Amino acid sequence: MSLTRRNILTGAAVAALASQLPVRVALAQGGDKVVRIAMPMDFTKVYTFVTAEYNQGQRDYITMMNQRGGMGGYTIAIDISDHANDQPRAIEAYERAKSQGAVLVDPLSTPVARALTPRALEDKINMVTAFSGRSDAADGTVFPYVFPLSPNYWTQAGLLIEYFKQQDGGSLDGKTICFVHIDTPFGKEPLPVLEALAAKEGFKLQAFPYTPPGNDQSAIWPQVRRARPDWTMFWGAGVGQTVALTEAARNGLDMGRVCSSVWLSESDMDVVGRDQTVGVLKFEPCVSGREPQVIQEILTEVVGAGKGAGPEDKVGTAYYNYGVMLAALMLEGVRRAAEIAPDGPVNGEWLNAGLHSITEFTAEGLIPPTTITPEDHQGGGMGRVARWNGEAFEPMTDWFSANQDVVWEEVRKYSSEFAKSGQ
Amino acid sequence: MDMILLLELAMNGVFVGLMYALLSAGIVLIYKTSGIANLAQGAMAMMGAYAVVVLAGGFGLSMWVAIPLALAVMFAFGVALERVALRRMIGQPVIMVIMLTIGLEIFLRGVIPGFFGAAVKRLDLGISNTPIFVGELLLNRAILIGGGVSLGLILLSILFFNSRFGIIMRAVSDNQTASWSVGIRVERAIAVAWGLSACMATTSGVLWGATQGVDWSLSLLLIKALAIAILGGLDSIVGVLIAGVIVGLAESLATGILDPIVGGGTRDVVASVIILLTLLFRPHGLFGREHIERV
Repeated sequence: MSLTRRNILTGAAVAALASQLPVRVALAQGGDKVVRIAMPMDFTKVYTFVTAEYNQGQRDYITMMNQRGGMGGYTIAIDISDHANDQPRAIEAYERAKSQGAVLVDPLSTPVARALTPRALEDKINMVTAFSGRSDAADGTVFPYVFPLSPNYWTQAGLLIEYFKQQDGGSLDGKTICFVHIDTPFGKEPLPVLEALAAKEGFKLQAFPYTPPGNDQSAIWPQVRRARPDWTMFWGAGVGQTVALTEAARNGLDMGRVCSSVWLSESDMDVVGRDQTVGVLKFEPCVSGREPQVIQEILTEVVGAGKGAGPEDKVGTAYYNYGVMLAALMLEGVRRAAEIAPDGPVNGEWLNAGLHSITEFTAEGLIPPTTITPEDHQGGGMGRVARWNGEAFEPMTDWFSANQDVVWEEVRKYSSEFAKSGQ
Repeated sequence: MDMILLLELAMNGVFVGLMYALLSAGIVLIYKTSGIANLAQGAMAMMGAYAVVVLAGGFGLSMWVAIPLALAVMFAFGVALERVALRRMIGQPVIMVIMLTIGLEIFLRGVIPGFFGAAVKRLDLGISNTPIFVGELLLNRAILIGGGVSLGLILLSILFFNSRFGIIMRAVSDNQTASWSVGIRVERAIAVAWGLSACMATTSGVLWGATQGVDWSLSLLLIKALAIAILGGLDSIVGVLIAGVIVGLAESLATGILDPIVGGGTRDVVASVIILLTLLFRPHGLFGREHIERV
C-alpha cells in the first residue's frame, strides 16, 4: 500500500473514530452517572406494526424522567438502531452496544431475542424480551439476565381460558374453543398450555394454522364458523391480525366471543373499521388510552413541550402504552439499582440487582402490581381482558392471573431443557 | 366430510382464483408483447394500492377519484419504466431483463413502505362485511365482488386483444422485426403494454387491499400470479382465466381437506407444486403456444 496523502488522511480519520470508542465506554462506566440502554429494533421489516409506537412510548417516558433529573441521580442514555429482524445485524448492534457500555438491551423481536440469549447470559447484559423471545425466560433461575417483564404467551392463553370459563358459568366442559394462529413457533407457542387446559377443563380444542404472514385466510374462517365455536382465539401479528378480524366479521362470528393476545391495537381497528369489530376482546397487560396518570404527565411535560418522539395522535394507543410500561419497568430497575449501590459501578450486574428488586410497581396505575424476583422474571403474570367498544378498549375484568400452575409447568419443562442443552 | 363446507370453500376458491388471475393477466400482457416475464408485478400491485391509500388518505380525495388517478399514475409509471429501464436492455440476454424485474421488485418492496409507512393501512371500498347466505352456504361478499370485477376485466382484455391495437400487440409479440418493417411502432406498443399491465396490477392491488389492508405483503401475490400464468400459458389470457379458477380451487380445497391431516401450511405449497409440475410436464402451460424452432 502506497503512502499517499489520501491514505494518510483516511487512516487518520479511522484512528480518530476508533479512539472515541474507549472514551464512550469510559463515559458509560465511569462516574458521570449515565446508564446506557440499547434499543436495536425492527423498524422496517416484520415488527413494523408495533415498533414505531412502542419505541415512541419508551422514548417519551425516558425523556420525561431525564427532564426530572434522571433515576436515582443517573441520566438514561438510549441508543436506537434498526436490526430489521435480521440476526447478523442485531448481533452487530448488540456488540456495538456492549462495547459502548450498554447495561440493558431491548430488541423487541422473538428470533433476535432467541439469538442474543446466550450472549446476554454470558456477557451479563440484561435483555428485555417483553411480548417476544422465549416464554420460558420467565424462569429467572435459568435465565438470570433475560427479563420478559410481562405476561408470556402461555400466561395470556391461560388467563383468557379462565375468562371464558367465568363467562360460561364456571365450566367449559363440552364447549368448543377454536384457536386460529399463524403457522410459526410464535403462533404455535400457546398450544401446549391450551391442550393441557383442554384436558383439565373438558373443552374441545380445534387449532387452525394459517400460512405466514396471513394475508389470505379466506379458506380458514369458513371452517372455524362451521366448527360452531363457543369461543375463538386468534393469535398472530400485523396483517395476520387484521385479516383474521375481517374474516371473523365476514363469517358472521359473534365478536363478543372472539379474542386476541396482546397484539391488537387501535391501528388494527382502523384497518378493519372501528365500527365493524365492536365487542372483540383482547388480553391487556396495561391500561390503554390517555387516562393513566403517567400518560397525562407525558402529554404535559414532553408532548406539550414539543419534545415528543412521534405523532401526538399515537400517544395513549395500546402499543404506545406497552412502550411506556416497559420503559417504566426498566427505569424502576435503574432507580432500585441506584438505591442499592448509589455509586455503581454501572454494569449489567448492577442493573440486574435493581431489576430483581422491583416490588409491587404499578407505574402510577398504568400496569398491574408487578414484582420481579430472581425466580420470576414475568412479574406475576397479571393482566386483564378488554373489549373494543368502537372507540377504545374498555376493561371487562380487574387485573388477575390464572392457571399459573399449568403455565409454570411448561416454563420449567422448557427452561430445564435449556439448562441441559443450551437450546 | 362436511359437503356444505367443501362447497363453500370451492365457491370462495373460484372467486379468490379470479382475483389472482387479474394480476397474472398483467404478466401475460407484457409477455405477449415483449417476451419478458415481469417478476415485479406483485410489487407493482402493492405500489398501486399504496398510491390509492396516499391519494385518498393523504390528499383527502374520495375513493372513486383516488382510484382513477392512481390508475393514471401507474399507467405513466409503467410507460416510464419501459422507456427508462427496459428499452435500454434491448439486445441484452433475456435473463438480464428478468433480473432487472427482480431488482425492481426488491426495490419497490423496500422503498414504498419505507416512504409511506410499513404498518397495514385501510383501503375501504365500502363493501360491507355482512355475509351473504345462500341456504347454509356463506359467500364472502368482498371476495365475490373482487372475483366478479376481476372476471370482467379479464374478459375485457380478451376483447382488447381482438381490437385493432390488440392485433398490433399480437403482431409485435409474433415478430418484432417484421412488425417494424410494416410500419408498426414496436416501442410504443410495448410501452402501452407495460402501462396497461401496471393498471391491472393496481386494480388487483386495490381489490386485495380492500380484503386484507395495504402493506408490503401485497407483493407476495406474485407467487400465485406466476403459478397461474405458468399453468395457463404465459401467452394466453384465456389460459389465465381457467388456470386462476384451478389454482384458487386447489388452494382452497387443500386448506380444507389436507390442512387437518398434515397440520396446516398446504395453501402456499399448492402454488409451488403447480409451478413445478407444469414446468416439468407441460412447459408451455395448458393454453400457451408451443414454440417450435427449425434447425
